[in-house]
Amino acid sequence: MDLLLHLAIVIAIYTIFALSLNVEIGYTGLFNFGHVAFFAIGAYTSALLTLSGIPFAVGLLAGLALAGLCGFLLSIPALKLQGDYFGIATLGFGEILRMVVNNEVWLTKGPMGLPGIPRPSLFGVVFDTLPGYLALSGGMALATFAVLSFVVLSPFGRALKAVRDDETAAEILGKNAFRFKIKSFVIGSVFAALAGVLWAHYTTFISPGDFTLTETILVLLIVVMGGKGTFLGPVVGAVVLIFFQESVRFLRLPPEWTRLLGPLQQMVFGLLLIVFMVFRPEGIIREKGGRRGD
Amino acid sequence: MDPISYYLQTALNGVLAGCVYALFAMGLTLIYGVLNFVNFAHGELIMWGAYFLFLFMGEPFGLPLYAALPPALALTGCLGIAMDFSVFRHIRRANRLTLLIAAMGLSVFLRNAAQFFWGAEVRTYGLEVTAGMRILGLTLTTPQIAIIAVTILCVAAVYVLFFKSRLGKSMRALSDNLDLARISGIDTKRAILAAWVISAVLAGIGGILLALDTNLSPEMGVINLIKAFAATLIGGVGNLWGALLGGLLIGLAENLGVLFVSPSYKDGIAFVIMVIILLARPYVIIGERSD
Repeated sequence: MDLLLHLAIVIAIYTIFALSLNVEIGYTGLFNFGHVAFFAIGAYTSALLTLSGIPFAVGLLAGLALAGLCGFLLSIPALKLQGDYFGIATLGFGEILRMVVNNEVWLTKGPMGLPGIPRPSLFGVVFDTLPGYLALSGGMALATFAVLSFVVLSPFGRALKAVRDDETAAEILGKNAFRFKIKSFVIGSVFAALAGVLWAHYTTFISPGDFTLTETILVLLIVVMGGKGTFLGPVVGAVVLIFFQESVRFLRLPPEWTRLLGPLQQMVFGLLLIVFMVFRPEGIIREKGGRRGD
Repeated sequence: MDPISYYLQTALNGVLAGCVYALFAMGLTLIYGVLNFVNFAHGELIMWGAYFLFLFMGEPFGLPLYAALPPALALTGCLGIAMDFSVFRHIRRANRLTLLIAAMGLSVFLRNAAQFFWGAEVRTYGLEVTAGMRILGLTLTTPQIAIIAVTILCVAAVYVLFFKSRLGKSMRALSDNLDLARISGIDTKRAILAAWVISAVLAGIGGILLALDTNLSPEMGVINLIKAFAATLIGGVGNLWGALLGGLLIGLAENLGVLFVSPSYKDGIAFVIMVIILLARPYVIIGERSD
């Protein structure tokens, strides 16, 4: 039972994370390979603030605000780039942020990580049990789904798709493509931070090792495999992949196997990315009206 | 050490690092020029090149360094071809985002495959450390002399190949315009294959040199990909000599930069330079090719 609750909580958190990346990749066509950086900003901000005795609500909001600000500042130079270049720039940002977290020991405790992050409490309710935490993260996931669905269904969302499909045409129609991309990037960053905050207060221990390229790949695979540019794609992807990822952890395997299992799992993830790109680039759920092969 | 030789030694270390980055960047920019996409798995060619040498020097082969080099580089070249055959040739006409994700997937696969076989820990080739030579008050070790010599050789070989041979001519034609090259009867398949082999071997040589001078780990690909990319951006994407120059500049900047910032941020300097270039010349790399 505890295992199922744990799975559901992680799925809820990764659904938020994936939905946030989907706004960028699926709807705006921005290939953010440093998305985990914003997850980390949310996690560290809220963890550091609550550890120094500040209420969870403040930590949460500060995490979201800081991620949004960083997203804004990064997006201005990065968004002058297209496709591959944008990917490299964001990949670099993710690596730099990890370097900062690793080295600024006075702030982040470096590789030692931050233990004992308090469980969150909101309006006097403490979410310190698994069902309680599931209610919190599940509620947040539903809210994220609702908000982001509303965002992409609105004229703003249609403009994003227009920018993605044909930037020049969107510009001719009077849409400032650059501004739409910045807004999309900031929205994605803020919701990634929300996932990060929930993650930090769930595991109660974070360290730089939690925020590597591996996490970016997992969330990228969730979005791509589920179906980028769709509502349900990231949710389906999160359920399937988190189930696969987490259930392997609970198999009782001899210790010499577990050392090999991590890389093996990542190899499967890499292979899945390739297979989907070669055979079904649109993912499990295909975008309505989307062109095949996109 | 007196300050002047200290700065000179730092600059020399920068040039040494720069030589290696130049080799990475030339391979990366070559594939970009011919196939018009950034190979995100280029870092893994660097890393696997180093590990192939590790493989042949260790059990059960136990070859000495010089004997282990040819098979290691041959295997790296084959890995380059395998990348193209297994992934990229199937999505040649796909949009670039599809290419990008596929390359990312390939990179993850190869990085973790190395970790699967050799573990995540940092390794060395276990060669005896020899005392460095002292030239004009500067210290140079044997691997460092090898770095300079091999880089000069590689650059000369690339020059001859590209500007004096038929194959090089066809690759340059491809890089200008793929369709035009094809209809003028150039064997594009052969040229693309050659580009992959050269790119992979250059990456492998660079990876081996880097590992000889420092160490090797499955993670070495990612950070060196970023440096190679920064170097190609400095030199102008698709430009071989620009990549050489860019690599040297990144190496120098990194090593001299340590005089001003903490050495733990050394790896971040390339990224910062990259961002500054992009800010200063934001459209430098857009619209270079018309197809």
